[in-house]
Amino acid sequence: MELVYKIIEKYPKEEASLIQILQDINRTYNWLPKESLEIVSKEINVPLARIYGVASFYKAFSLKERGKNIIKVCTGTACHIKGAPQLIDEIKRKKNIKPGETSKDKKFTLETVNCVGACAMAPVLILNEKYHGFTKPSDIEKILEEGK
Amino acid sequence: MVEIIVDGKKIKAREGNYLLRELKKNGFKIPALCDHLAVEPWGGCRLCLVKITKEDWKGWSKIVASCLYPVEDGLIVLTKDKEVEEARKEVLNLMVARSPQTPKVLELAKEYGIEKTSYEEYKEPTDCILCGLCTRICDQLGMSAISLVGRGIGREVAPPFNLEPPDCIGCLSCAYICPTNFIKFEENEKKRKIWGKEFEKLLCKNCGCGIVTKAEAEYFSKKQGIDPTVFELCDKCKREIYSKKFEELQK
Amino acid sequence: MKKLKSLKELSDLRKKLEKDYNNKKEIFVCCGTGCRANNSLKIAEELEKILKENKKEIPVIRYLKKTGCHGFCERGPLVIFMPEEIFYCKVKEKDIQEIYEKTVLKNEVVSRLLYKEPREKKEIEKYKEIPFYKNQYRIAMRNIGKVDPFSIEDSIAKGAYLGLEAALKMKPEEIIEEIKKSGLRGRGGAGFLTWRKWEAARKEKSDVKYIICNGDEGDPGAFKDRSIMEGDPHSVIEGMIIASYAIGAKEGYIYVRDEYPLAVETLKKAIEDCRSLGILGKNILGTSHSFDIKISRGGGAFVCGESSALIRSVMGKVGEPRAKYIHATEKGLYDKPTVLNNVETLSDVGAIILKGGNWFASFGTEKSKGTKCFSLVGKVKNTGLIELPMGTTLRQIIYDIGGGIVKDKKFKAVQTGGPSGGCVPEALLDLPVDYEKLTEAGSMMGSGGMIVMDERTCMVDVARYFLKFLLEESCGKCTPCREGLRQLMAIYEKIVKGEGKEEDLDKIKKLSSAMKIASLCDLGRSAPNPVLSTLKYFEEEYIAHIKDKFCPAGVCSDLVIYEILQTCNGCGACRRICPVSAIVGKQKEIHKIIEEKCISCGSCYDVCPINVIIYKKKELKNG
Repeated sequence: MELVYKIIEKYPKEEASLIQILQDINRTYNWLPKESLEIVSKEINVPLARIYGVASFYKAFSLKERGKNIIKVCTGTACHIKGAPQLIDEIKRKKNIKPGETSKDKKFTLETVNCVGACAMAPVLILNEKYHGFTKPSDIEKILEEGK
Repeated sequence: MVEIIVDGKKIKAREGNYLLRELKKNGFKIPALCDHLAVEPWGGCRLCLVKITKEDWKGWSKIVASCLYPVEDGLIVLTKDKEVEEARKEVLNLMVARSPQTPKVLELAKEYGIEKTSYEEYKEPTDCILCGLCTRICDQLGMSAISLVGRGIGREVAPPFNLEPPDCIGCLSCAYICPTNFIKFEENEKKRKIWGKEFEKLLCKNCGCGIVTKAEAEYFSKKQGIDPTVFELCDKCKREIYSKKFEELQK
Repeated sequence: MKKLKSLKELSDLRKKLEKDYNNKKEIFVCCGTGCRANNSLKIAEELEKILKENKKEIPVIRYLKKTGCHGFCERGPLVIFMPEEIFYCKVKEKDIQEIYEKTVLKNEVVSRLLYKEPREKKEIEKYKEIPFYKNQYRIAMRNIGKVDPFSIEDSIAKGAYLGLEAALKMKPEEIIEEIKKSGLRGRGGAGFLTWRKWEAARKEKSDVKYIICNGDEGDPGAFKDRSIMEGDPHSVIEGMIIASYAIGAKEGYIYVRDEYPLAVETLKKAIEDCRSLGILGKNILGTSHSFDIKISRGGGAFVCGESSALIRSVMGKVGEPRAKYIHATEKGLYDKPTVLNNVETLSDVGAIILKGGNWFASFGTEKSKGTKCFSLVGKVKNTGLIELPMGTTLRQIIYDIGGGIVKDKKFKAVQTGGPSGGCVPEALLDLPVDYEKLTEAGSMMGSGGMIVMDERTCMVDVARYFLKFLLEESCGKCTPCREGLRQLMAIYEKIVKGEGKEEDLDKIKKLSSAMKIASLCDLGRSAPNPVLSTLKYFEEEYIAHIKDKFCPAGVCSDLVIYEILQTCNGCGACRRICPVSAIVGKQKEIHKIIEEKCISCGSCYDVCPINVIIYKKKELKNG
């Protein structure tokens, strides 16, 4: 957890820094472990319950451990009418996970995102921060092979 | 003090004060489940809606939450307007769908003609109406031991990670302020249990009854600089002992 | 970079940079998030490599510039040669060698990479002659695609901070007067007159005031703010500095939603560069005005686009809106006077101060002045980002610029304003786009997202989609929104499963009316809009779902089954595209759909080249 202290050092130690700190922790560990939130609470002097309230409110944070590869399917309107639901179905068929779930071998977590702003390339799928546009269900297998 | 007109009646009210509080002071009955004098208003339950207008608004009006709206000179308030009553009924209708077995909610709904919800009842009903009073009083008292967790329909009042809240001192303010008795606690002479956390009480040095929890005593001492010996005797014994001392001094 | 200590020093620097950066032969490669999703970064890198390795062979040096979004996302990756304006689209890695050999070395055009106008099938060489671009007029997006967003030098050379130079010579009241003349209205959705907000904040007596740029852009389908922040961050900063000077603020925040990481990068670099040059910080350009900007990242919540929720998020709290009986201009961030403006609004400010409010007001309609950015997406041929004068009709946008519906199918509706907006049907295609007209039609301007829908879009499903979206995004504070959305959703789930009842329509209307009155913030108040607008214009579809238990668009999978007719020629296109392998058949023989496996997604129907697949009502088991 020493990385957590390093992250906190980058920002002023006040409540206004909370969301940025949590984002960096989430990016580093792939989720927000309980211990990390306890450390943040002590260091920036914000009650743990309030931090937990913030962490559970925003979609950017995961309070559950996630898989090695994060699959994000955009479910914005343009992506929806161009086939995002079929992408989600295909991932369910291939990896047996629904949005919010992690595969049993802990390799993949599927999440939905409410619009990443690449609507002209709908439907959009993001694997580990790499964007794929005009995705078809038949592309899923190949894309997932790029995972770690 | 300024003058406002409520349902045709002229009323004097303090400018800038929350409208609901002024209305209640003057005997107007307006439902408001998330409002309480001990905390700042929140505007979450939406039952306290009223219609307001002013003479220079030329017939334009708006519907606002009276718990938050600041009193202004010349305000004209309608508490029984048709649009307002319809909206209030629907809100109660929605509440009954969520809490079909909660006496406080059912009582209030009945006053507006709702016995059963016309919507789909929750498969797992709950007494909690998410009024936020418990978290607000806990924040105000300084502990912030519980909070509103999650977002939207999955929201709930909970301690962090659904475990024993580390900052809770067992003061029971949340349970007392809860309008629907959703927050349960257990209490006996020596112990108190709430949110899954057990608290030992400080016992009166004289009669042995429980006064406050040890955590409460520590918290008040630290935060407000109260001498911890204040909690050595219960109020009854304090009164008895001091009045005896007073008697002796008089002799 | 040396700190500039006066307006004259900025002007001198600009003259020098214009010599260095302008009038060069360049190659633009669009590297906005959209084109990056299509591998454009790799294209840029490969091109750069080939130019570097063969430097000696190239007759005239070409500088490769990675720019922000050019807007023509449908045709990306885009490679544009300037000043010739040769416009290449859908460029792949394998095309790079030919581009180098023909265009870089010999100034010849690779015709197969040019844009082909779909109606006349003509190739168009020049950027500005392509209908998509020809009909646009760009103010907020004036420099996107022309500048390297990571270079302040390039931005200044292309005109950045000319507006600021002019503003710092004016008085704050004069600036607000100019904004008033321009008629600029908030470009984030509400359309509130910008000058009024600024004036209210200016009048407040407080030594601490804030300017916040709302870069939350939560509307799905809208990405204009992303493109402006990624492609021309200096236009946003310029607008903020001018605003801060007008109202008397020393601190500002740019709130960027978490889903826009590239925007955070460009803005960070831009702010650092501004500080180095003395355009941000103490005594800007030697004047007595000081102002600095911090970036605040969102956590992934649509509700944080609402100004009071955004302010709470900046403070590190849960994004719960509050009742706005006391305006943010009076008590906003940390209870201080705060002005919150949208990215596009701020981007317009610099141009308005430079060219004058009257110039801006010469575009647009009576009550909606200036230009507006739109993201045109969905079932339209040319999807992308455009900017047009207000008053352009929907027909012009969708057909002249958008090129019409994909595969020339029938237009059904265009959804505007995001989840707070509504659907506009074919009958209203000649509607001039402006704030009032869209609201009258039951929709709203919103962020500028325009999602085009064709006959294969089910309007009941569209309403249900928006309800699902809002249900996930509602903060949960107030009863009518949280519970109302849940109950509306429950009714819709029944309708699309064939369990709808006649009284459902009245229930929906009654609940919608209550939500509009009783909800705490605009998320809840406008949540019924998609529901009510689809009900208004497409009631027959609802009735078909409820009475006939059929989905006329063939989308609701519980109500339709797909069938291949006997006239099938066995091409196999459907068999190959079926995601569940539910179609069997040999090449050149009639294909068949296996009913038990079919999920009624309609992919086969959409791909069949001779239209021999149909859908019909599914016989429900409970009759």
